[in-house]
Amino acid sequence: MKLKETILDPIFKSNPITVLVLGICSSLAVTVTMKGALVMALSVMAVCGISSLILSTLRNTIPGRVRIIVQLVVVAMMVILVDQILKSFEATYPIDKQLSVYISLIITNCIVMGRIEAFALGNKPIPSMLDGLANGAGYGLVLLVVAFFRELLGSGTLFGIQVMPAGYVTNNLVILPPFALILLGCIVWVQRSIQKDLQEK
Amino acid sequence: MNTNNNLYTVVYTTIIVVIVAAVLAFVSQSLKSRQDANEKAETISQMLTAGGFGTKAEFQAMGNAKVLETYGNEVAAAFTVDAAGAKVADLDIAAKEVFSRSQLKAQNYKVKAGEGYALPVFIFKNGITVVPVYGAGLWGPIWGYIAFEADGNTIHGAYFDHESETAGLGAKIKDDPAFQAQFVGEKAFFGESPIFAIVKGGAPKEDGKSLTDNKIDAITGATMTSQGLDAAINAWLGAYAAYFGTAKAVEE
Repeated sequence: MKLKETILDPIFKSNPITVLVLGICSSLAVTVTMKGALVMALSVMAVCGISSLILSTLRNTIPGRVRIIVQLVVVAMMVILVDQILKSFEATYPIDKQLSVYISLIITNCIVMGRIEAFALGNKPIPSMLDGLANGAGYGLVLLVVAFFRELLGSGTLFGIQVMPAGYVTNNLVILPPFALILLGCIVWVQRSIQKDLQEK
Repeated sequence: MNTNNNLYTVVYTTIIVVIVAAVLAFVSQSLKSRQDANEKAETISQMLTAGGFGTKAEFQAMGNAKVLETYGNEVAAAFTVDAAGAKVADLDIAAKEVFSRSQLKAQNYKVKAGEGYALPVFIFKNGITVVPVYGAGLWGPIWGYIAFEADGNTIHGAYFDHESETAGLGAKIKDDPAFQAQFVGEKAFFGESPIFAIVKGGAPKEDGKSLTDNKIDAITGATMTSQGLDAAINAWLGAYAAYFGTAKAVEE
């Protein structure tokens, strides 16, 4: 596979959320605000990219029988590091509190282990890292699109700044997770109408 | 090289785990002071929110330094009290010394045992007294701060936080302003049992006003969290009963 495809495919053509349908749970939970979605997207990119890099470097030495456990240890380490770093800065501390368990739950995000198992263990370190980053970015892009509509309609703000006119009545349904699923469904619908090869006969 | 050999597998996993543990220990140690500073500002902003000095969002927006400054301007006295209500030691106001969550947790064991505790009391210049409560929710610890008026038993405000209660249900003790607003104007019946009650199915009401001064509504769908908070409030206010009793006796 060419490097360009490795980077561009996960963003749209084989997007982890809309095509592979991975990472749905967290995309419903952390998309109430743009800030939260952005921090989550960057965290997943960091975890995905660096774990892929480390495990791809180690790929020929990992004993086959404990392969998954070794992956788990490395991913868990990355998740804890990200959580610790977010907790250490004044700007990110409240966001870390708001995202609470979802940062730690990145470890259960199927995208991370899925890409390591499917790509990193069979490819060289640099393409693996790019694949991890690109999949994280594809995940983050969907997160941001969903969060854009949810924050705009649900709170009348974007990144915490008021954008809707003062008289706007906020829509509480949009704040709740079910609406995120409806939005996600619409995004999948749009993507499938553009990309004909995804349509079932 | 045969990577499926038993010895190789054991040695390999051991090395990986030791390296990961070392990295995590190092990072945790080097970031600890920054995290503690953030947690301290968070604790103080929760106390100030309970005391009605502003909303949580306002404190969040103003940043750590301003939160500590506000606390420094408003606080009049801070000390710890024992089971008899007597002062044990002063807390350093200039250094903005407060009780961290781990300190509250340590005291919680002693509160449960019913002796040997030294609990913090924060008195502000406008006569409001703020005390912490700590206990177990459904999934993890829950804690919070209750502010009393100068009379020592009317509640001025409350703020609660949790580690991992269910979002949308138990998490409402923190996220639902209406739940916290219920505490305002209620009373703690020190010396009675229960001191305070969070009632499942709703506190008795007439014209939307609570008939009983020390009872509020529990959260629908979060029975365990509500019961945990009820237990935490009763245990901790029970431990403070002697202090509030003596404070009142001095006034009279």
